[in-house]
Amino acid sequence: MSPEILLSLLAATIQAGTPILFATLGEILTEKGGTLNMGVEGMMLVGALAGFLVALHTGSPVLAFVAGGLAGMGMAAVHGIVCIAFLGNQVVSGLALTIFGTGLAGYFGTRYIGQTAPGFDKFSLPILGELPVLGPILFQQDALVYTSYLIPPLMWAFLRYTRWGLGIRAAGESPAATRAAGLNVLGFRWAALLGGGILAGCGGSYLSLAYTHLWTNGLTSGRGWIAVALVIFAFWKPGRAMLGAYLFGGVMAFQLRLQAMGTALPSSILLMLPYVLTIAALAFSSWRGHRTEAPAALGVNVEPSE
Amino acid sequence: MASVIGMSTPPVVSLRGITKAFGQVRANSDISLDIRPGRIKALLGENGAGKSTLMSILAGHYHPDSGEILVDGQACLFRSTRDALRAGIGMVYQHFMLVEDMSVTENVFLGQEPGFFLSPQAMGHQVRGLAKTYGLDIDPDARVADLSMGEKQRVEILKLLHRKSRILIFDEPTAVLTPQEGEQLFVALRSMAAQGKAIVYISHKLGEVMALADEIAILRRGQIVDEVPAQAVHSQADLASRMVGREVLLDVSREPGELRQNVLRMQGVWAGSLQDISVSLRQGEILAVVGVAGNGQKDLVETICGLQAPARGEISLLGKPWKIFFDNAPWQGGLSYIPEDRMGLAVCRGMDLVDNFLLTTRQGYSTPVWLQRSKATAVTQELVDQFKVSPPDVHCLARQLSGGNLQKLVLAREFHRRPRLIVAEQPTQGLDVSAIEEVWATLLDARQEAGILLVTGDLAEALALADRIAVMFGGRIVDTFSAQDRQRVDNIGLMMAGMHPDAGQ
Repeated sequence: MSPEILLSLLAATIQAGTPILFATLGEILTEKGGTLNMGVEGMMLVGALAGFLVALHTGSPVLAFVAGGLAGMGMAAVHGIVCIAFLGNQVVSGLALTIFGTGLAGYFGTRYIGQTAPGFDKFSLPILGELPVLGPILFQQDALVYTSYLIPPLMWAFLRYTRWGLGIRAAGESPAATRAAGLNVLGFRWAALLGGGILAGCGGSYLSLAYTHLWTNGLTSGRGWIAVALVIFAFWKPGRAMLGAYLFGGVMAFQLRLQAMGTALPSSILLMLPYVLTIAALAFSSWRGHRTEAPAALGVNVEPSE
Repeated sequence: MASVIGMSTPPVVSLRGITKAFGQVRANSDISLDIRPGRIKALLGENGAGKSTLMSILAGHYHPDSGEILVDGQACLFRSTRDALRAGIGMVYQHFMLVEDMSVTENVFLGQEPGFFLSPQAMGHQVRGLAKTYGLDIDPDARVADLSMGEKQRVEILKLLHRKSRILIFDEPTAVLTPQEGEQLFVALRSMAAQGKAIVYISHKLGEVMALADEIAILRRGQIVDEVPAQAVHSQADLASRMVGREVLLDVSREPGELRQNVLRMQGVWAGSLQDISVSLRQGEILAVVGVAGNGQKDLVETICGLQAPARGEISLLGKPWKIFFDNAPWQGGLSYIPEDRMGLAVCRGMDLVDNFLLTTRQGYSTPVWLQRSKATAVTQELVDQFKVSPPDVHCLARQLSGGNLQKLVLAREFHRRPRLIVAEQPTQGLDVSAIEEVWATLLDARQEAGILLVTGDLAEALALADRIAVMFGGRIVDTFSAQDRQRVDNIGLMMAGMHPDAGQ
């Protein structure tokens, strides 16, 4: 494989990994607060459609991206009403959210299939873009990719060095202790859930605004599920989420290239690769005994205080 | 009697006429208490006497039905723990309220962060300083999950000290500690009191209370029956008799039963904390086992009921050796256990009354394959009517029943098995007076057919029901005697403190 092909493959890896990174970070934030939201796939799809529609009608990619995030937040709010306000089952509500989101995006999106909308284009960052090897891979991307680089360190610092981060972690680890400390457990859970929804929506709108610039139904094709699995692979750490997202991005980009070049392998086998890797990654992290890294009260509903 | 010493300092918190009922049960009735800075006040009482309810009210968990809390002489209304914390009242619970995955420092600062951005180093430094001031040895950077129980307790204390709490409430703090950790805790408590904190110490351990407290308030059945300065208490026996009381609450008429065959015989049994227990019980009598909680009663009950195998010694139930009896225990005409923890051990909360009935009687209502549900339902309905369980609906769930009705259901079920040996553990704890009367009458009735071992922390109950009384202390039976033996009955307090009057103590 020539260096040029390798560089372009790695650059494509970053691009393919970015939507997964947004969604994984969102789910990490949500789960740190103690809420399990399996509706990532649905939130991403609705975010993708909202972003696409706003871009189509306003022509502003930035506005479209914001709309994608807000749409994700709106979806997360549905989950919050079911689980935080009415103490519904988090797994069932999350699954329903995915089905709901898929249906919603399909219903409103079908007539736009094949249409294109303005989005984010790639540009080279000054100085950084000129770097050998790293420049073409990391710094000749679009604005959303650059944004995504900033989120993991910011989220890490937020969870570790701020009052709200401490409260969110406490609400996910021990709601009783958090409440005994005089904090509003449900408030922190809502904040984490809605913040996570924004990131999932952003991940979705990256697909329609930067990855493809056009609308097709089922645009996310399972990336939401990969994000849910990656949270476990990442041991709920934003830094490791980056590693995981790009690993999957790499496999996705690789199988696309391989299909394009034409191989003897059936394409369905190649399409399966990311999901096979998901199962392998989950088995690996469980085998290493890292399940205990999960927030202790993850998925456990909290009764509202008196 | 009000406390005489320390009257000069005005109380930092006063409880005035606090009353709290759960359903029919009055957990606290008309309680008044003064808590003064620099003093350790012990709240002494048996399990279920209302200590924890009272302190939960003070800590803002419950609202009193009536009465008021004065902080620095001003009436305060605590809507939540947050309000109580703000007023300077903090509680160290038996079940720690800590975030296991966080560091000591993070736990101490949770909810008390100085600003939006946190500096772990500066916070750790502060925790270290606070720990040093009060003699609480701890590593601020350690993860709470890695700490011992004693260290976790220190984190809880540090949380309160960091909030500048002026009143620190400890709920049975030594229950989870090793003796050495207990000693360290006492040193820290004295140091906190010396530095002006008011300490409230909830316990039923006489020795601890005598060693630590400045003032002792004694609770029984939801009321403060006595409040004395520690110097006025001469001995643990004195304290024990004040705690368990003597007056018989209810008058139950009874005749001595006809003594028949032996149903329980224990000879030199060792198990858990039990040491060399010998007991015998005959059909037609009630043997009350009394003592301060935690002196081996639990092990005794578990051993007799087959939950714990004896390490040494011989037990026979209904004439059969322990192992052979439990290998094939009969569902009828055998052993019935009425546990203290009704919700946990006697019934399943989420099942209806018929299913709960079948828990211990299913052998009588099954064919080789199927349960005879309609037959069981009919019998349950009969029992519910006969024992006046309310609501009289066999399809309501166990958790929908009040404590008294639940206990009636358990008794109905167990007596339906026509047991010849009954182990009843605190059968009237948490019940209202009319329910207590019914339970007592039922037990006395059952004596016709069975031998009853009644484990109780309430001496009044023992005196009302028992034919014979056994006093436990430190895993041993100090003495067993007839309930008519006035002289020994008068010495029960001494025996509960581990002293045998005949031994010249």
